[in-house]
Amino acid sequence: IELEKSQYSDHEIRKLQEEEQLRKRKESGYDDQDEAPGKMVIMAQDLEDKWEQKLLQFKAAPRITDADKNNNRMSLNRKLDSNLMLLVKQKIGNQQLWLLPQVEWQPGETLRGTAERAMAMFLGDHIQAKVLGNAPYGIYKYKYPQAIRTEDTVGAKIFFFKAFLQRSDLSQAELKEDHLWVTKDELGDYLKSEYLKKVNRFLLD
Amino acid sequence: RNYFPCRAQPKKKKKVDVRREQAQKDRMKKKIKKLEKAAPEMIPIEDFITPLKYSDNSRVRSLPPLSFEETERRVLLMKKWCLFKQKQDKAEKEAIQTLVAAQQEALKELRLESEELYQAAIRRDEGLFPYEKEGPTYTPPLPGYDPPEGKCVDVTKVYTQ
Repeated sequence: IELEKSQYSDHEIRKLQEEEQLRKRKESGYDDQDEAPGKMVIMAQDLEDKWEQKLLQFKAAPRITDADKNNNRMSLNRKLDSNLMLLVKQKIGNQQLWLLPQVEWQPGETLRGTAERAMAMFLGDHIQAKVLGNAPYGIYKYKYPQAIRTEDTVGAKIFFFKAFLQRSDLSQAELKEDHLWVTKDELGDYLKSEYLKKVNRFLLD
Repeated sequence: RNYFPCRAQPKKKKKVDVRREQAQKDRMKKKIKKLEKAAPEMIPIEDFITPLKYSDNSRVRSLPPLSFEETERRVLLMKKWCLFKQKQDKAEKEAIQTLVAAQQEALKELRLESEELYQAAIRRDEGLFPYEKEGPTYTPPLPGYDPPEGKCVDVTKVYTQ
Protein backbone atom coordinates (compact mmCIF):
# COMPACT_ATOMS: atom_id res chain seq x y z
CA ILE A 1 0.00 0.00 0.00
CA GLU A 2 1.31 3.43 -0.84
CA LEU A 3 1.99 5.03 2.53
CA GLU A 4 4.26 7.95 1.76
CA LYS A 5 2.40 10.07 -0.72
CA SER A 6 -1.11 9.34 0.44
CA GLN A 7 -3.49 10.47 3.13
CA TYR A 8 -5.88 8.45 5.22
CA SER A 9 -8.85 7.11 3.28
CA ASP A 10 -12.43 6.94 4.58
CA HIS A 11 -12.12 3.29 5.43
CA GLU A 12 -8.95 3.88 7.43
CA ILE A 13 -10.43 6.83 9.31
CA ARG A 14 -13.43 4.70 10.22
CA LYS A 15 -11.12 1.98 11.45
CA LEU A 16 -9.12 4.40 13.59
CA GLN A 17 -12.24 5.93 15.09
CA GLU A 18 -13.66 2.55 15.95
CA GLU A 19 -10.43 1.49 17.59
CA GLU A 20 -10.50 4.70 19.64
CA GLN A 21 -14.05 4.00 20.75
CA LEU A 22 -13.23 0.44 21.70
CA ARG A 23 -10.29 1.62 23.74
CA LYS A 24 -12.35 4.24 25.52
CA ARG A 25 -15.00 1.72 26.34
CA LYS A 26 -12.49 -0.64 27.89
CA GLU A 27 -11.00 2.13 29.96
CA SER A 28 -14.31 3.50 31.16
CA GLY A 29 -15.21 0.07 32.44
CA TYR A 30 -17.87 -1.44 30.24
CA ASP A 31 -20.57 1.04 31.28
CA ASP A 32 -22.04 1.91 27.92
CA GLN A 33 -21.91 -1.46 26.32
CA ASP A 34 -25.50 -2.34 27.06
CA GLU A 35 -26.80 0.88 25.61
CA ALA A 36 -25.68 0.49 22.01
CA PRO A 37 -25.22 -3.14 21.17
CA GLY A 38 -27.15 -2.88 17.94
CA LYS A 39 -25.34 0.10 16.47
CA MET A 40 -21.83 -1.12 15.76
CA VAL A 41 -22.55 -4.55 14.44
CA ILE A 42 -20.06 -4.44 11.59
CA MET A 43 -16.70 -2.86 12.26
CA ALA A 44 -14.10 -1.94 9.71
CA GLN A 45 -11.71 -4.54 11.09
CA ASP A 46 -14.33 -7.25 10.55
CA LEU A 47 -14.75 -6.18 6.98
CA GLU A 48 -11.03 -6.40 6.42
CA ASP A 49 -10.89 -9.87 7.91
CA LYS A 50 -13.76 -10.97 5.72
CA TRP A 51 -12.01 -9.69 2.61
CA GLU A 52 -8.78 -11.40 3.61
CA GLN A 53 -10.59 -14.69 4.02
CA LYS A 54 -12.16 -14.37 0.61
CA LEU A 55 -8.78 -13.72 -0.97
CA LEU A 56 -7.25 -16.77 0.65
CA GLN A 57 -10.09 -18.93 -0.54
CA PHE A 58 -9.67 -17.90 -4.16
CA LYS A 59 -7.12 -19.88 -6.07
CA ALA A 60 -6.08 -18.68 -9.51
CA ALA A 61 -5.25 -20.99 -12.39
CA PRO A 62 -1.54 -21.78 -12.67
CA ARG A 63 0.51 -19.96 -15.26
CA ILE A 64 2.54 -23.03 -16.17
CA THR A 65 0.07 -25.40 -17.76
CA ASP A 66 0.28 -29.14 -18.23
CA ALA A 67 1.47 -28.75 -21.78
CA ASP A 68 4.50 -26.89 -20.46
CA LYS A 69 5.43 -29.68 -18.10
CA ASN A 70 5.07 -32.36 -20.75
CA ASN A 71 6.68 -30.14 -23.37
CA ASN A 72 3.87 -31.01 -25.72
CA ARG A 73 4.53 -28.66 -28.59
CA MET A 74 1.36 -29.49 -30.44
CA SER A 75 -1.02 -27.76 -28.06
CA LEU A 76 -1.72 -24.06 -27.91
CA ASN A 77 -1.82 -23.96 -24.14
CA ARG A 78 1.89 -23.76 -23.60
CA LYS A 79 4.07 -20.73 -22.95
CA LEU A 80 1.18 -18.48 -22.14
CA ASP A 81 3.41 -15.45 -21.71
CA SER A 82 4.98 -15.41 -25.18
CA ASN A 83 3.85 -15.56 -28.79
CA LEU A 84 3.57 -18.89 -30.58
CA MET A 85 4.10 -19.49 -34.28
CA LEU A 86 2.67 -22.32 -36.34
CA LEU A 87 5.13 -24.68 -38.03
CA VAL A 88 4.06 -27.37 -40.45
CA LYS A 89 5.98 -30.23 -42.00
CA GLN A 90 5.78 -29.92 -45.75
CA LYS A 91 7.21 -31.75 -48.69
CA ILE A 92 9.38 -29.57 -50.92
CA GLY A 93 10.95 -31.30 -53.89
CA ASN A 94 11.76 -34.63 -52.39
CA GLN A 95 12.42 -33.52 -48.81
CA GLN A 96 10.17 -33.26 -45.81
CA LEU A 97 10.91 -29.96 -44.11
CA TRP A 98 9.56 -28.01 -41.18
CA LEU A 99 8.32 -24.70 -42.51
CA LEU A 100 5.94 -21.88 -41.82
CA PRO A 101 2.84 -22.90 -43.75
CA GLN A 102 3.29 -22.08 -47.41
CA VAL A 103 1.19 -22.49 -50.50
CA GLU A 104 1.97 -21.79 -54.15
CA TRP A 105 0.63 -18.59 -55.58
CA GLN A 106 -2.03 -18.96 -58.25
CA PRO A 107 -2.11 -16.29 -60.94
CA GLY A 108 -5.11 -14.06 -60.54
CA GLU A 109 -4.88 -13.92 -56.77
CA THR A 110 -3.38 -11.21 -54.61
CA LEU A 111 -0.62 -12.24 -52.23
CA ARG A 112 -2.86 -11.70 -49.25
CA GLY A 113 -5.44 -13.98 -50.83
CA THR A 114 -2.80 -16.66 -51.10
CA ALA A 115 -1.92 -16.23 -47.45
CA GLU A 116 -5.53 -16.56 -46.43
CA ARG A 117 -5.90 -19.64 -48.58
CA ALA A 118 -2.87 -21.15 -46.88
CA MET A 119 -4.41 -20.47 -43.49
CA ALA A 120 -7.69 -21.98 -44.52
CA MET A 121 -5.90 -25.02 -45.83
CA PHE A 122 -3.90 -25.69 -42.70
CA LEU A 123 -6.25 -24.55 -40.00
CA GLY A 124 -9.72 -25.19 -41.38
CA ASP A 125 -12.21 -22.88 -43.01
CA HIS A 126 -13.80 -21.22 -40.03
CA ILE A 127 -10.66 -19.88 -38.51
CA GLN A 128 -10.76 -16.39 -37.08
CA ALA A 129 -7.46 -14.83 -37.92
CA LYS A 130 -6.65 -11.30 -38.91
CA VAL A 131 -4.00 -10.72 -41.54
CA LEU A 132 -2.16 -7.52 -40.74
CA GLY A 133 -2.10 -5.49 -43.91
CA ASN A 134 -1.68 -6.19 -47.59
CA ALA A 135 2.09 -5.98 -47.80
CA PRO A 136 4.47 -8.89 -47.13
CA TYR A 137 6.70 -8.76 -44.07
CA GLY A 138 9.66 -10.73 -45.29
CA ILE A 139 11.02 -12.70 -48.16
CA TYR A 140 13.09 -15.79 -48.62
CA LYS A 141 14.37 -16.74 -52.00
CA TYR A 142 16.24 -19.83 -53.01
CA LYS A 143 17.36 -21.43 -56.21
CA TYR A 144 16.16 -24.81 -57.29
CA PRO A 145 18.80 -27.50 -57.62
CA GLN A 146 20.12 -27.93 -61.15
CA ALA A 147 17.94 -30.92 -61.89
CA ILE A 148 14.63 -29.09 -61.64
CA ARG A 149 15.58 -25.79 -63.23
CA THR A 150 13.79 -25.04 -66.44
CA GLU A 151 14.18 -22.05 -68.73
CA ASP A 152 11.79 -19.78 -66.87
CA THR A 153 12.02 -20.80 -63.29
CA VAL A 154 15.40 -20.51 -61.63
CA GLY A 155 14.20 -20.54 -58.06
CA ALA A 156 11.37 -19.53 -55.83
CA LYS A 157 10.55 -16.57 -53.67
CA ILE A 158 8.51 -17.04 -50.53
CA PHE A 159 6.74 -13.98 -49.17
CA PHE A 160 5.71 -13.99 -45.53
CA PHE A 161 2.60 -12.46 -44.05
CA LYS A 162 1.68 -12.01 -40.41
CA ALA A 163 -1.70 -12.81 -38.96
CA PHE A 164 -3.10 -12.90 -35.45
CA LEU A 165 -5.37 -15.70 -34.30
CA GLN A 166 -8.44 -14.27 -32.64
CA ARG A 167 -9.70 -17.37 -30.93
CA SER A 168 -7.60 -20.10 -29.51
CA ASP A 169 -10.05 -22.95 -29.93
CA LEU A 170 -8.87 -25.10 -32.79
CA SER A 171 -11.11 -28.02 -32.03
CA GLN A 172 -12.82 -27.78 -35.38
CA ALA A 173 -9.61 -27.61 -37.35
CA GLU A 174 -8.18 -30.78 -38.74
CA LEU A 175 -4.46 -30.50 -38.97
CA LYS A 176 -3.50 -33.29 -41.27
CA GLU A 177 0.23 -32.94 -41.30
CA ASP A 178 2.42 -32.63 -38.26
CA HIS A 179 2.14 -29.21 -36.79
CA LEU A 180 3.85 -27.42 -33.95
CA TRP A 181 3.33 -24.24 -32.04
CA VAL A 182 6.71 -22.81 -31.20
CA THR A 183 8.11 -19.64 -29.71
CA LYS A 184 10.77 -17.59 -31.42
CA ASP A 185 13.63 -19.25 -29.55
CA GLU A 186 12.51 -22.73 -30.41
CA LEU A 187 12.27 -21.90 -34.10
CA GLY A 188 15.99 -22.54 -34.35
CA ASP A 189 15.44 -26.20 -33.50
CA TYR A 190 13.37 -26.82 -36.57
CA LEU A 191 14.19 -24.39 -39.33
CA LYS A 192 17.22 -24.33 -41.56
CA SER A 193 19.79 -21.58 -40.93
CA GLU A 194 19.27 -19.45 -44.04
CA TYR A 195 15.51 -19.63 -43.78
CA LEU A 196 15.73 -18.97 -40.06
CA LYS A 197 17.86 -15.88 -40.55
CA LYS A 198 15.34 -14.30 -42.87
CA VAL A 199 12.37 -15.26 -40.74
CA ASN A 200 13.86 -13.96 -37.53
CA ARG A 201 14.07 -10.48 -38.97
CA PHE A 202 10.37 -9.86 -38.98
CA LEU A 203 9.25 -11.82 -35.97
CA LEU A 204 8.96 -9.94 -32.69
CA ASP A 205 8.96 -11.91 -29.53
CA ARG B 1 -74.67 39.77 -19.89
CA ASN B 2 -75.97 39.05 -23.33
CA TYR B 3 -75.74 35.60 -24.49
CA PHE B 4 -76.18 36.55 -28.06
CA PRO B 5 -73.22 35.76 -30.18
CA CYS B 6 -71.49 39.11 -30.33
CA ARG B 7 -68.63 39.69 -32.59
CA ALA B 8 -66.81 42.61 -31.10
CA GLN B 9 -65.83 41.10 -27.77
CA PRO B 10 -64.42 37.77 -28.93
CA LYS B 11 -62.34 39.58 -31.53
CA LYS B 12 -60.77 41.86 -29.00
CA LYS B 13 -59.90 38.95 -26.79
CA LYS B 14 -58.18 37.22 -29.62
CA LYS B 15 -56.09 40.24 -30.53
CA VAL B 16 -54.97 40.90 -27.02
CA ASP B 17 -54.06 37.26 -26.53
CA VAL B 18 -52.21 37.10 -29.79
CA ARG B 19 -50.29 40.26 -28.99
CA ARG B 20 -49.45 39.06 -25.51
CA GLU B 21 -48.29 35.75 -26.82
CA GLN B 22 -46.15 37.40 -29.41
CA ALA B 23 -44.61 39.68 -26.82
CA GLN B 24 -43.82 36.65 -24.63
CA LYS B 25 -42.24 34.84 -27.55
CA ASP B 26 -40.06 37.83 -28.36
CA ARG B 27 -38.89 38.09 -24.78
CA MET B 28 -37.99 34.40 -24.76
CA LYS B 29 -36.12 34.76 -28.02
CA LYS B 30 -34.15 37.70 -26.69
CA LYS B 31 -33.17 35.69 -23.61
CA ILE B 32 -32.11 32.74 -25.76
CA LYS B 33 -29.99 35.01 -27.93
CA LYS B 34 -28.29 36.48 -24.90
CA LEU B 35 -27.49 33.04 -23.53
CA GLU B 36 -26.11 31.88 -26.84
CA LYS B 37 -23.95 34.97 -27.19
CA ALA B 38 -22.32 34.35 -23.82
CA ALA B 39 -19.28 32.07 -24.09
CA PRO B 40 -19.94 28.38 -23.45
CA GLU B 41 -19.11 27.24 -19.97
CA MET B 42 -16.02 25.15 -19.51
CA ILE B 43 -16.65 21.54 -18.59
CA PRO B 44 -14.84 21.00 -15.27
CA ILE B 45 -12.34 18.18 -15.31
CA GLU B 46 -13.20 16.31 -12.19
CA ASP B 47 -9.76 14.77 -11.81
CA PHE B 48 -8.03 18.10 -11.33
CA ILE B 49 -10.28 19.44 -8.59
CA THR B 50 -9.54 17.97 -5.17
CA PRO B 51 -12.76 17.77 -3.19
CA LEU B 52 -12.70 19.92 -0.07
CA LYS B 53 -13.02 17.02 2.30
CA TYR B 54 -9.50 15.87 1.48
CA SER B 55 -7.82 19.15 2.33
CA ASP B 56 -8.41 18.53 6.02
CA ASN B 57 -5.32 18.13 8.09
CA SER B 58 -6.77 15.34 10.16
CA ARG B 59 -6.03 12.94 7.33
CA VAL B 60 -2.28 13.34 7.26
CA ARG B 61 -0.31 10.24 8.13
CA SER B 62 2.48 10.28 10.64
CA LEU B 63 5.28 8.09 9.36
CA PRO B 64 8.82 7.67 10.66
CA PRO B 65 11.38 9.52 8.48
CA LEU B 66 13.26 7.51 5.85
CA SER B 67 16.56 6.04 6.93
CA PHE B 68 19.79 6.75 5.09
CA GLU B 69 20.08 3.18 3.80
CA GLU B 70 16.58 3.35 2.43
CA THR B 71 17.25 6.51 0.44
CA GLU B 72 20.51 5.06 -0.87
CA ARG B 73 18.76 1.88 -1.92
CA ARG B 74 16.10 3.86 -3.71
CA VAL B 75 18.54 6.03 -5.60
CA LEU B 76 20.56 3.02 -6.78
CA LEU B 77 17.40 1.19 -7.76
CA MET B 78 16.28 4.16 -9.80
CA LYS B 79 19.59 4.23 -11.64
CA LYS B 80 19.40 0.54 -12.46
CA TRP B 81 15.84 0.95 -13.62
CA CYS B 82 16.81 3.83 -15.90
CA LEU B 83 19.54 1.74 -17.46
CA PHE B 84 17.24 -1.21 -17.94
CA LYS B 85 14.57 0.91 -19.53
CA GLN B 86 17.08 2.56 -21.83
CA LYS B 87 18.32 -0.81 -23.07
CA GLN B 88 14.78 -2.04 -23.54
CA ASP B 89 13.83 1.03 -25.52
CA LYS B 90 16.92 0.76 -27.70
CA ALA B 91 16.22 -2.91 -28.39
CA GLU B 92 12.64 -2.11 -29.33
CA LYS B 93 13.70 0.61 -31.72
CA GLU B 94 16.26 -1.65 -33.36
CA ALA B 95 13.66 -4.38 -33.73
CA ILE B 96 11.31 -1.95 -35.41
CA GLN B 97 14.06 -0.87 -37.77
CA THR B 98 14.86 -4.44 -38.82
CA LEU B 99 11.15 -5.04 -39.29
CA VAL B 100 10.79 -2.07 -41.59
CA ALA B 101 13.97 -2.95 -43.49
CA ALA B 102 12.78 -6.52 -44.04
CA GLN B 103 9.46 -5.28 -45.30
CA GLN B 104 11.08 -2.84 -47.69
CA GLU B 105 13.27 -5.60 -49.06
CA ALA B 106 10.25 -7.85 -49.54
CA LEU B 107 8.41 -5.12 -51.39
CA LYS B 108 11.41 -4.47 -53.64
CA GLU B 109 11.59 -8.13 -54.58
CA LEU B 110 7.86 -8.22 -55.17
CA ARG B 111 8.17 -5.28 -57.51
CA LEU B 112 10.79 -7.13 -59.50
CA GLU B 113 8.42 -10.04 -59.77
CA SER B 114 5.22 -8.39 -60.90
CA GLU B 115 4.04 -4.80 -60.89
CA GLU B 116 0.40 -5.76 -60.42
CA LEU B 117 1.00 -7.68 -57.20
CA TYR B 118 3.15 -4.85 -55.95
CA GLN B 119 0.37 -2.34 -56.46
CA ALA B 120 -2.08 -4.64 -54.71
CA ALA B 121 0.33 -4.98 -51.79
CA ILE B 122 0.88 -1.25 -51.38
CA ARG B 123 -2.81 -0.49 -51.11
CA ARG B 124 -4.08 0.57 -47.69
CA ASP B 125 -5.91 -2.07 -45.71
CA GLU B 126 -9.18 -0.49 -44.64
CA GLY B 127 -10.29 -3.26 -42.34
CA LEU B 128 -7.17 -3.12 -40.20
CA PHE B 129 -7.94 -0.09 -38.01
CA PRO B 130 -9.54 0.24 -35.51
CA TYR B 131 -7.99 -3.01 -34.33
CA GLU B 132 -9.32 -4.40 -31.08
CA LYS B 133 -7.85 -7.28 -29.18
CA GLU B 134 -8.16 -8.39 -25.59
CA GLY B 135 -4.81 -8.51 -23.94
CA PRO B 136 -3.53 -11.53 -22.00
CA THR B 137 -4.29 -11.67 -18.28
CA TYR B 138 -1.78 -12.55 -15.58
CA THR B 139 -3.29 -16.00 -15.02
CA PRO B 140 -5.22 -18.03 -17.59
CA PRO B 141 -9.00 -18.21 -17.13
CA LEU B 142 -10.17 -20.85 -14.65
CA PRO B 143 -12.33 -23.45 -16.35
CA GLY B 144 -15.75 -23.47 -14.72
CA TYR B 145 -15.30 -20.30 -12.70
CA ASP B 146 -18.55 -18.65 -11.64
CA PRO B 147 -18.08 -14.91 -11.24
CA PRO B 148 -20.06 -13.28 -8.40
CA GLU B 149 -23.28 -11.64 -9.56
CA GLY B 150 -23.93 -7.97 -9.20
CA LYS B 151 -25.11 -4.88 -11.02
CA CYS B 152 -22.78 -2.09 -12.03
CA VAL B 153 -24.36 1.38 -11.88
CA ASP B 154 -22.48 4.10 -13.74
CA VAL B 155 -22.47 7.32 -11.70
CA THR B 156 -20.23 9.48 -13.88
CA LYS B 157 -21.53 13.03 -14.32
CA VAL B 158 -22.15 14.05 -17.91
CA TYR B 159 -21.81 17.73 -18.78
CA THR B 160 -23.31 19.36 -21.86
CA GLN B 161 -22.00 22.58 -23.25
